[in-house]
Amino acid sequence: MADDPRKPEDEAAGGGRTLDRRDVLLGLSTVPALGLFGYAWRKQRSYEQQQREMAEASRPAPAPDLEPIDVALIGAGAQGQVLLDAMLRIPGLRFRAVCDIWTDFNLRRAVNTLKKYKFEATGYEDYRELLDKEKKLDAVVIATPDFWHAPHTVAALQAGKHVYCEKEMSNTLEGARQMVAAARATGKLLQIGHQRRSNPRYLHCREKLIGEAKLLGRIVTVNGQWNRAVAPDLGAPDRYLIPEARLKQYGFRTMHEFRNWRWYKGKGGGPIVDLGSHQIDVYNWFLDAVPSYVIASGGLDYHDPKTHEWYDTAMVVYEYETKQGPARAYYQTQTTNGSQGYFENFMGDQGTLVISESEANYPGRLYRDPNAPAWDEWVQRGYVTAPKVVEKEEKEDASVLDVRESVSPDEHRVPVVLRDPYHQPHLENFFAAIRGKTPLNCPAEVGYESAVTVLKVNEAIEAKQRLSFRPEDFEA
Amino acid sequence: MTLSRGAAFAIVALRVVIGWHFLYEGLAKLQAPAWSAAGYLKQARGPFAFFFRALAADPNLLERVNQATMWGLVAVGLGLVLGCFTRLASLGGIAFLLMFYLCNPPFVGYFYAIPTEGSYLVVNKNLVELAALVVVLLTRSGHVAGLDRIIHGLLRGRRRLAPA
Repeated sequence: MADDPRKPEDEAAGGGRTLDRRDVLLGLSTVPALGLFGYAWRKQRSYEQQQREMAEASRPAPAPDLEPIDVALIGAGAQGQVLLDAMLRIPGLRFRAVCDIWTDFNLRRAVNTLKKYKFEATGYEDYRELLDKEKKLDAVVIATPDFWHAPHTVAALQAGKHVYCEKEMSNTLEGARQMVAAARATGKLLQIGHQRRSNPRYLHCREKLIGEAKLLGRIVTVNGQWNRAVAPDLGAPDRYLIPEARLKQYGFRTMHEFRNWRWYKGKGGGPIVDLGSHQIDVYNWFLDAVPSYVIASGGLDYHDPKTHEWYDTAMVVYEYETKQGPARAYYQTQTTNGSQGYFENFMGDQGTLVISESEANYPGRLYRDPNAPAWDEWVQRGYVTAPKVVEKEEKEDASVLDVRESVSPDEHRVPVVLRDPYHQPHLENFFAAIRGKTPLNCPAEVGYESAVTVLKVNEAIEAKQRLSFRPEDFEA
Repeated sequence: MTLSRGAAFAIVALRVVIGWHFLYEGLAKLQAPAWSAAGYLKQARGPFAFFFRALAADPNLLERVNQATMWGLVAVGLGLVLGCFTRLASLGGIAFLLMFYLCNPPFVGYFYAIPTEGSYLVVNKNLVELAALVVVLLTRSGHVAGLDRIIHGLLRGRRRLAPA
């Protein structure tokens, strides 16, 4: 204190008393700054609230006579949260309940999120209790690990609820068949979460560009991928660990297995099922066919086999017999390098379509083969954008075209953008179907076809030989 | 060295604005639904990168780091704005800024994927704010204007009473 530079003033001001008026005033003099802060903070919060409300208002208002649909979410992990965030943007839903066995973390987070949106949702650990007590529910959205899809979906359908279930429909075909059977027996709706089937860009490409305008000509080859960089296993803080007895009760040996179930046999199907499922489903959908044969190579090439059971790398070739003739489709997924991310590439004799769900990476590009008929009509009708003009310098820069090279094709864009979360249109389709306004875009039978196509890859990797599909394999 | 009145109050103003910044950084993180330091820690560079990456790798540690950062920023912010335990708050703030600086140091040859603002050569705003807090720390600005002045006065009173 001896070197305190303020001391002389203190002493002069304070005199003999310990605390005078000046001390108190100066002592409290910066408190108003806190008030100013509070004012600015509230201003900012209300501005954000206003922005949210404006965004809300700019969406088509729900019809005044819209009867709310009562919804429950089973499985509130990462994917459950994604679906919940998308659903919170859909008018006419009333959230009644959430179920998750990770009560201290997932369940609490989801219930709190709903509270923010003024929904008093009850939290459950056990889905049977939820289905038992929540009599008013219309629909259940399921985002649990794959091996739980069949039990959860069948129970919910039998309780008389419509079900939206995440892909992959099930980790076994037996489970998937039970789901189809339950949907048929109960007459309730079952939508499988292959959300690209409701994505306006994918719909535009399939219906307008491939179907009506036939811009690709005959699709002979397809190529696609989902490459992911190495990522550490998911962990959990000690204070949030699920008690061992509860983990066992719900089929998990350890917390690691609970957090990383996608890597474990009997729980999920590995990256080919997690990631490939979406895109291989698009292959079937765009080619309007199911494959006849599959060849696959894969293995656990990189990750620790103690904590990873499924293949971290898979390379697959499907052989299709489409209405236009044979087509071959390559797909790869690997989890050791994220090069070029994910996309699907449809190659026809007149053009190419490169598309992905991502708005940032491959938001839809078409390439017209130089020998194909002009696309002017489709540009005029707004199906595709005008071709990208190649700058003169760019052309001059390029080395002289070799006779063996093709002339580079014109590049067009797909003029359809999805500004909502990726899963929102597919969920909207589900809820509109409940209201009887539209058919489902991915009903159980379609999800089953997709599951048959995708689950066969793991079988083909093990068999180390070309496997065939029989047409009846795709019928549940 | 004695500070002029003007200089003393300029430093009080400096302390309050730095406090404001800390307070907002803390509250904004608390209010975000799932804020985590993981991304920042994972892109660590420089001599201490191993330490910051180790923090991000262990979920238990990460959880503690997240809590400590959010509440720590708020506490430092309140302390600086109110001039309450100013020296402790300044030291806390300096510690935070030193960590931020060392985690993603703007040294020649390091390239970050998400440069949030401006261009830096060795000195960035973390370092400037840190240096400013050293001034706040050493000039005991809480005693010029701040709750410390009252606290100090009360303690002084008690100390006088004690021997009597």
